[in-house]
Order: sequence, then structure tokens, then C-alpha cells
Amino acid sequence: MKVGDTLGNYHVHAKLGEGGMGAVFRARDEVLHRDVAIKVLSSRTIADKPAKELLLHEARAACALSHPNICMIHQVGETGGELYIVMELIAGKPLSALIGKDGLPVESVLRYGVQIAGALTHSHSRNVIHRDLKSPNVMVTPEGLVKVLDFGLARRIRKEVVPETARTLDSLQATSETTMESTGGLTGTIPYMAPELLKGQQSDQRADIWALGVVLYEAASGKLPFLGQTVLETSGAILHQLPPPLPSWVPNSLWAIVQRCLSKDPQQRYQRAGEVQAALEAVQSASVAGATTTSAPAGPATVVERGMRHLSLKDGDVLLLVGTMKGAFLVRSNARRASWEVIGPAFHGQAVYTLAYDGRKGRHRLWASTSSYWGTFLRSSDDFGRTWTNPHQANVKFPAECGVSLKNIWQLCLGREGEPDTMYCGVEPAALFVSHDAGESWALVRGLFDHPHRPRWVPGNGGLCLHTIVLDPVNRERMYIAISSGGVYRTEDGGATWQARNQGIRVRHEPERYPEFGQCVHKLVLHPARPERLFLQHHWGVYRSDDHGDTWQGISNGLPSDFGFAMTTHPRDSECVYLLPIESDEFRCTPEGRLRVYRTRNAGASWEPLARGLPQKGAYETVLRDAMSTDGLNPAGIYFGTRSGELFGSVDEGKSWKLIVGGLPPVVCVKTVVVGAPASSAKIKAEANNLGKKGSSGKKRGKR
Amino acid sequence: MGKREAPAKSEANASVAITVYIPGPLRPFSGGRPQVELKNSPATLRDALDELWKEYPGIRDRVVTEEGRLREHINIFVGKENVRYTGDFATRLGPGAEISILPAVSGG
Repeated sequence: MKVGDTLGNYHVHAKLGEGGMGAVFRARDEVLHRDVAIKVLSSRTIADKPAKELLLHEARAACALSHPNICMIHQVGETGGELYIVMELIAGKPLSALIGKDGLPVESVLRYGVQIAGALTHSHSRNVIHRDLKSPNVMVTPEGLVKVLDFGLARRIRKEVVPETARTLDSLQATSETTMESTGGLTGTIPYMAPELLKGQQSDQRADIWALGVVLYEAASGKLPFLGQTVLETSGAILHQLPPPLPSWVPNSLWAIVQRCLSKDPQQRYQRAGEVQAALEAVQSASVAGATTTSAPAGPATVVERGMRHLSLKDGDVLLLVGTMKGAFLVRSNARRASWEVIGPAFHGQAVYTLAYDGRKGRHRLWASTSSYWGTFLRSSDDFGRTWTNPHQANVKFPAECGVSLKNIWQLCLGREGEPDTMYCGVEPAALFVSHDAGESWALVRGLFDHPHRPRWVPGNGGLCLHTIVLDPVNRERMYIAISSGGVYRTEDGGATWQARNQGIRVRHEPERYPEFGQCVHKLVLHPARPERLFLQHHWGVYRSDDHGDTWQGISNGLPSDFGFAMTTHPRDSECVYLLPIESDEFRCTPEGRLRVYRTRNAGASWEPLARGLPQKGAYETVLRDAMSTDGLNPAGIYFGTRSGELFGSVDEGKSWKLIVGGLPPVVCVKTVVVGAPASSAKIKAEANNLGKKGSSGKKRGKR
Repeated sequence: MGKREAPAKSEANASVAITVYIPGPLRPFSGGRPQVELKNSPATLRDALDELWKEYPGIRDRVVTEEGRLREHINIFVGKENVRYTGDFATRLGPGAEISILPAVSGG
């Protein structure tokens, strides 16, 4: 069978995939006007009689079943020597793909578990045992409906339990299908196999109940209960070891159900799937009854939406992540950065205030915050923007007792080297959230939210936002945040307590010129090579601190204006900072209609304009706080986007600039990624050590 | 367990079923459906919404905030009346009521 063929009523449109048994196609039933999946035994194995028998067996077994949680078989046939099964086309993802490293939320485990148990209840009542139940065989639709697939190894049983017949098992082995493990006359996938199957003993529907226990365990924890390096080790664990306890967030009631499913002795297990279903429903009811209005609704964590067209990326490529008021764009170049390819927008019409790239632990994950009438959500993509998650439940939200609601997510910040699953986000109204599972779940940092100053923070023009998060790269307990208008706060104990750090920053909006807090900080940057040194763009003034923010000194001399938003450090030179002055808070445009970046190479003692290639007439532009960044290359690339939708870049550290792309929606953020270069932090660290040996900043001045 | 095998709606309720119209941006969370019928004859808008997001959990956080308030730029109508003028979530629903969730005309 191939795409374009017509098979009876079915017109074959596309190939969906190829598995051990053969290929699966998407086809259109021209009579009933519905899309179906057609599974065809591959020509490679068509001559293989046992495989043919197995396929027919699959179809016959599954045809007897009709249940909303079981993939429906419409028709079985043979054409031109090829066997095929026409079945329900299921849009969704396998449960195995939804289960993250730490498992699914308990509500989802229960919701899916009830449905799987329901499917088994139905099939067992019709004397059909699945015998290959595992998370890859459980599909979850975008609506959260479970469909158990592939009753391929199910076999009809009589009402009484019958022993395995060697003949049948031998014939299964003979197919050598990749979807089956063939060990000692056993079929199925080893980690899901019940002890009695491994021991070659009689088995019945209680082997499915064991497998359901494995799937529940896996869904709740992200790990298999019994897994070794080898088949022998795994089998040994199944036969002799107890499953490790589930994580603490899993309620004991669910853990008890899983444990009973995983009793080594079938007599000690639930005897019927309906009992498991009832037990799971009881836990589910208890959890719903005890839920607050903001409790996680049951259902799949996310739907997946199409994003941008495919972007072909190689190691060393530079990727600019551009967030705008109406969507996100990706801008790609190679390391030479001579020409750029622009794709987007993703999140059509939604404001994207922050973007991030997580390249830790082998990930290639983009993150975006999207904001619209319909709320603010964090979205991720593991294929460079081709598809994006769209979570059912807002992943960042205030606990109900806080009395506030999320308005926007302004900033995403990845954890330090050695904290590969930590992420932070700063939000409006001003608060900090942390994730320790790479963005799967988020918790409010109470130490900051409960700060006695919080009631006295006031919104700036953009709202009361926590817009900047800066981690000390060395001291894991120290970090900084900046709030407009609240000022800079620092923690020395990993977020438990926070101290205002605004001494020396002058305000004009209240009689007290140097208040402890309340400053309208626009941007805060730190160079990892000198963690004690911070630079700050205030509403009025540019500042530097050389003592972790304890005190600040003005460094605005030489700038055409001390107002501005965007600021970034050079990727290596800790004396070097770039910023883009704006005329004033009343006239938020570049001074004199000239678009100029300013750079200091002596930590603010003097500033030089960098304007070559930038418009110098009638360019009344604004560059927002997060819309300027550098890449880690040498020479460094500097990039910024304007509110008028122009994206400029310099690949010679600011000497000259080029328009990369114009006509974008207003640019809110620009982040840079060098693909496959997670080692940049190590490089910085090495250079930091060198700088440390060289000593003071003054010695660095003549470097260029 | 039979209850899970019989999801079909009650015949008795068919003629007075309450309908919720789902706007395009929320349809990824309603299985693509532009409208859904509620099975349990909810008496108030609050009951109707509770039933809606029990069935389609992705809709909830897009319509109300974590404090349970209707989002600022989202309106809900029962029939032709904006519920902000008819008692918000306490708005009573008659048989066959039609609920529309719509974004407001605002912003830029």
C-alpha cells in the first residue's frame, strides 16, 4: 500500500509511521466521510505466516471490543496479499510522551488511570486480555480522552483460565517483531510484565492489572518501578524487589492502589480491573471534594500547537529570539552572522514579553510567555518553534489565598550551572516564581511575596512588575531581583529572606531622595566574571555597584540622557556595558531623533556613542528593557529591537550596525542563543579566573 | 462501572439543553467544538461554568483568573445580556439558555 492508493472506500492520504508490524497510513473513508488509520502488514513480513496470523488475531480480538477508551477497529481485510486493519484515527500523544521526568500531576494520573482501568474492565468482561499494556500503547487525545491501543498481543481466553500454549508463544516469537521482547517464550515488554509471566506460569487478566500498576507508577513518578541495565536485572527486580516509594506529593491512597496492583502474588492483587477503577475513582472524588477553586483541573497538561515552519539549525548557529507585542520571531544565522533568516510569528497576535533557551542537560527547549485577553501562559518548544505546548492549566499562578491574579510574565531566568532543572520567572504583579523541574511546575517564592515592603511598591508605567532576575553565578544562595517600582532586592539565603539594596540610587518622585526602596529600576545586569559588580539603569540615572549591590554610584556622566531601559554586558569584558539612552520619562524616544548605542569600556568612567549604520535622523525610537542582548561569540554580536519593529545587529562589538529585519510588531525582548554552545558559561568562568588574576579594572583599559 | 460506558446525553434534557458557544481561541481546549451542550441542566452560570471546565479543563484558566474573577477583557453573555449586568456568575439560566464567551472590544 502506498499514499494515493484507493482501497475499497478508503483513499490513502499519508503515511503516519512505521512500526514493528508494518506501516500505518492515514486514509479517508469516502463513503462515511471520516478519516481513519490503516495498519498494513509490511511486505517484508507478509510472507511470514505467523505475523499474518498475529495481525488477524489482533483484529479479531479488538473487533469484539467497543468502548470509548479502546481504539475502535472498523474493518479487517486482505488486498493483493497484504493484510490491513482499518481503525479509528486518534489525534493525540502516547501517554509515555506526556509523562515528564517527574511524572504527571496526580489529577492526570487518576484521570488516565480510571479510563485505562475502564478499558480493561470492558475487555476482560469479553474474555480479552491485553497482555501488552504499557504507556506507549495508551494514547491521550487533546481532550484528555484515553484510548488504549494495540491489543496486538491480546488473546481470547475461555471463561476459565487456560495455560499458555507453547505453540502460540513460539509462533509469536517467530515473528521477531521489534515491538515484542522474546525471552524464554514470553511476549510483552519486560518492565511491564507480571512475575507469573516471567516465571512461565499461568497468567490471566491479573497480568493486565500488574501492567496497569506499572503504568500508574510510571505516570505518577516518571520512572518505571522495576528497571535494570539488562533484561535479567529487570526480570530480577520484578520477581524479587519491592517498588521504590512514589514521590512524596503522590497521595498515600494512590500509592496503596499501585502497591496492590504490583503484588507479586496474583492472589494478593485486585482480582478485577473494575476494582482498580473504583479505587481510583474514590481517590479522584476525594481530591475533587477537597479541591479549592484554583485546584488543578484533571486533563492533559497541554495541547500542542503548530508554530513556525521548520528551522534548520546546526551547532554554532546564532539564533535570536525576538518577542514582540504580537508574537515571537526566530532569526537565524551561522557563526559569521552575515545574513539572517527570519521566521514567525508564533503566537499570532499575543504579546511575548520574555523568551528563553534551555540548552542544559541535552535539551534544546525554547520557552516563551504569551499574554492575551485569555491570560498569560508559559509555552515551550522542543523543536525550535515548530510546535509549542499550550498548557490546559496556567502553569504560573498565585495561590488562592494571595488575593492577586497573574497579569503578565516579564522574565524567565535559567538556573546556574549545576542547577539544570531550576528556572525562575518574574511576574506582574511583582512576584518571583521558581521551578525545580525544568518548568513543569512553579511555586511562588513566599519570602519575597511576604516581604513587608510589598504593599508599598507602586506600579510603574508598565505595571508593578518584577522584570529582572539576576543570579550570582558563584554563590548559589545569592540572587537579585528588580521591581518597577520597588527597587533592587537581594537574597543571601536562596530566597527565604530578601533585603532592599538601593543605597545611593536617587529618586525624584518622592520627597525622600534616597529611600530604602521604591526606586523605579528599569534594568539590572551582572557580569559573571565579576559577580560583585552590577550595573543598573534607573528611571533617572545609570549606576554601578562593586559590592553586590550594597551601595551604588552614579555613572551617567558622558551620556546624552540618564533615562533608558535596555542594558547588556559584554560577554567577556566585565568593564564593558552597552545601553541605549532615551531622552526622558516624558519623551520616551532616542535623543535628537538619533539612534545610538552607548558603550563604556571602563565600567562607566566614560561612554562612547556607537552609531555607524544606525539611523541618525528622524529616528525617534524606544528600545525596551529586555530588547538588547549579546551573543557569546568573539567578536561579540550585539542585537537590539525597537518599539517600531526594527531589529539591528552588530557583529563587531558595536563598531558598526546593520538592520537585520524591519517591519516587525513592537519589539519587547531580544535574546540570543548560540546553538550547541552550553559550554559558554565554562568559558566565561575560565576568563573570570584570568581576569581575577589580572586584578583591577584599570589594567584592562588598554586591552582593545 | 456502567456509567462510564454510557456517555450519551439524557433524552429528557435534549430539548432544554444549555448550550455554550466556544470562541475560536478556546477551541483547542474543547476538542475543536464551536459549541457544547451541558448535560446536567445547571441552574446558574456558575454551575454551568463548573460543568464546562470539568469537561474541558483547558477553558477555565482562560476565562477566569486564579481569584475566580472573569478576566478583564472577556465577556460572558446569557442570551443577549452581558452577565456583568445580570448578576455575574449568579445569573440564572432558563431551559435552553445559550451562553456565549467572547473577548471584549478593547486593547490594541
